[in-house]
Amino acid sequence: MSTAPVRRWLASPAFRALLALAFVVAIGCAFNADGAFFRWSTHRDMLRQVSVYGILGCGMTLVIISGGIDLSVGSVVGLCAVVFARQTLHEGEPALAALAMVAAAGTAIGLVSGALVARFRVQAFVATLAMMVFARGLAKWISGGQKISQAIQHPDGTFSYVDLPPVFQRVDHRILGGNLSVVTLIFLGCVAVSWLVLEKLRYGRYLYATGGNEEAARLSGVPVARAKLLAYGLSGLFAAVAGVCQAAQEQQGDPEAGSTYELTAIAIAVIGGNTLSGGRGGIGLTLLGALTIGYLEKVLSINAVGESSRLMLTGAIIVAAVLLQRRKAG
Amino acid sequence: MHKEVPAVLLLLGALALPAAAAGPKHGAKWVVGMSQCNLGEPWRVQMNADIRRAAEAHPELEVVYKDAQNDTLRQRSQIEEFIDADVDLLIVSPKEAAPLTPPVAAAYRRSIPVIVLDRKVLGDAYTQFIGADNQRIGRAAGEWAVGRLLALPQVRAGGRARIVELTGLMTSTPGQDRLAGFHAALRGQPVDIIFTADTQWLEPRAREEMESALAVNPRIDLVYAHNDPAAHGAYLAAKAAEREKDIVFVGIDGLPQEGQVYVRQGLLAASFEYPTGGREAIDSALRILRGEAVPRQLTLHSRVFTPANVAAGGEWLP
Repeated sequence: MSTAPVRRWLASPAFRALLALAFVVAIGCAFNADGAFFRWSTHRDMLRQVSVYGILGCGMTLVIISGGIDLSVGSVVGLCAVVFARQTLHEGEPALAALAMVAAAGTAIGLVSGALVARFRVQAFVATLAMMVFARGLAKWISGGQKISQAIQHPDGTFSYVDLPPVFQRVDHRILGGNLSVVTLIFLGCVAVSWLVLEKLRYGRYLYATGGNEEAARLSGVPVARAKLLAYGLSGLFAAVAGVCQAAQEQQGDPEAGSTYELTAIAIAVIGGNTLSGGRGGIGLTLLGALTIGYLEKVLSINAVGESSRLMLTGAIIVAAVLLQRRKAG
Repeated sequence: MHKEVPAVLLLLGALALPAAAAGPKHGAKWVVGMSQCNLGEPWRVQMNADIRRAAEAHPELEVVYKDAQNDTLRQRSQIEEFIDADVDLLIVSPKEAAPLTPPVAAAYRRSIPVIVLDRKVLGDAYTQFIGADNQRIGRAAGEWAVGRLLALPQVRAGGRARIVELTGLMTSTPGQDRLAGFHAALRGQPVDIIFTADTQWLEPRAREEMESALAVNPRIDLVYAHNDPAAHGAYLAAKAAEREKDIVFVGIDGLPQEGQVYVRQGLLAASFEYPTGGREAIDSALRILRGEAVPRQLTLHSRVFTPANVAAGGEWLP
């Protein structure tokens, strides 16, 4: 009887990612905060909390597979939250027009990063770091440094209040009898779109080829520059979607929103098993990584772990989860 | 007293009476959830410390503390976790009013009594709000500032005084109220607010904003900061520019280890106390858990500390 396929699967990144996830879930079962971990509401809320990071993780996966990195996604979340809030709350625009504008803004930022990396051969780290700073500044400029909320301040210092447009409630909403958040659905939709790009489109294979060996890909006729532009453009678009979800949940556009979110997005992609050097991985691994990070955060939260302990434990558990993966692969 | 009641009667009691008047929902102790928006502000660390000290005197209370690290969505998740854990009572100091009103209302509608501390939520889906009157404090600060500024030689000669206002987070009610009260006291007086900035209650940000104010304005008479850390940050910025002697600094909070120390050291000309309400929250919590009615609004009184009266324990505001 052939055990080779089984052994192959046991050595695969997917199994290793599942192992990390199982490890965190086991910690949750052991420290279940009086049974809180066994109630569906805890899992539903964990999914809602991790969704914005997960959406960013989808874009990050595409970029990482292509051999790059996108540090600007957190700032784009802030920028798009601000633009979305401004257009709907202050300018009174209909939701679809505001969404289109936000999507265009995010994609544009992504394409600029992509152009810097692909055409001008700037290192991805540097190009997207600069874009991160620029986008944050742009967000603060558009918002005047203030959060854009239902309270509109007039020049004389008084406030008037507008109602929240229905699109906010439609995004920040639960379906299926209150058992699933809409933002979780949006996250899963982004996972599906990423899967289509990576597995079903030609450009998906181009991304893998570019990340695996860029010179060889270029020599084989792969349109490397266009593939990279696609990856960064999509990363910007996903960041725009995440920005809308963030604004809807906060009921405001905060120019500081999304600060350090890019680190969590990278952690999600990498814990899932996508290699930072590129060329390998997939969106399924990112989904597992998102669940791992989500559960880790949730378990610490339901146990009311204080900030200092939480930070140290998060670092330690991430290292443990990654080491667990490596031992099994060896 | 409820510990002497047999379990069966307790169960019948729980079915017959509102949940708050029966026994604890889980185990022998009342579980109180405390959702704090951040522990980066010393005033909030003091609030938690006051709650902890008051709760220690009552072993039948178990307080679970969660810190949202100044993240609105995290605070929302933590309130939802308290609802899910079905705590006996929730104390919450929300970061912002609008986004946190729905989860607080959800707890209230699930028959979890809610005490809101310091920053309000919108509407009235809570059991009690405890806080000092920020508008009154702002107005007192404004009146004190006007009195001080009118005595300045340049103002007595017919000029106008120049004030820098460093506000707290303007999406939170204390920030809005401290601004409104202060401005009300300034109306009709020969004073101008030449620079305003939102420090989000944080000292490093206040310092940066004050540096900008100093760079742009050659003469500043008074700095009104919405909290003592911001006033301290402004003082440090002025000191770095060697202009601290020409400026009067006013803050709010008046904590013994912070604002009052600054007043004693001569950094602040005045600090207006803003009591944390931690002790009062535990007192109210015990009354609510025993089934007593509590007033919807509990307004705390405060004092002003100046170098002249800080040793004597400040002066109560009218």
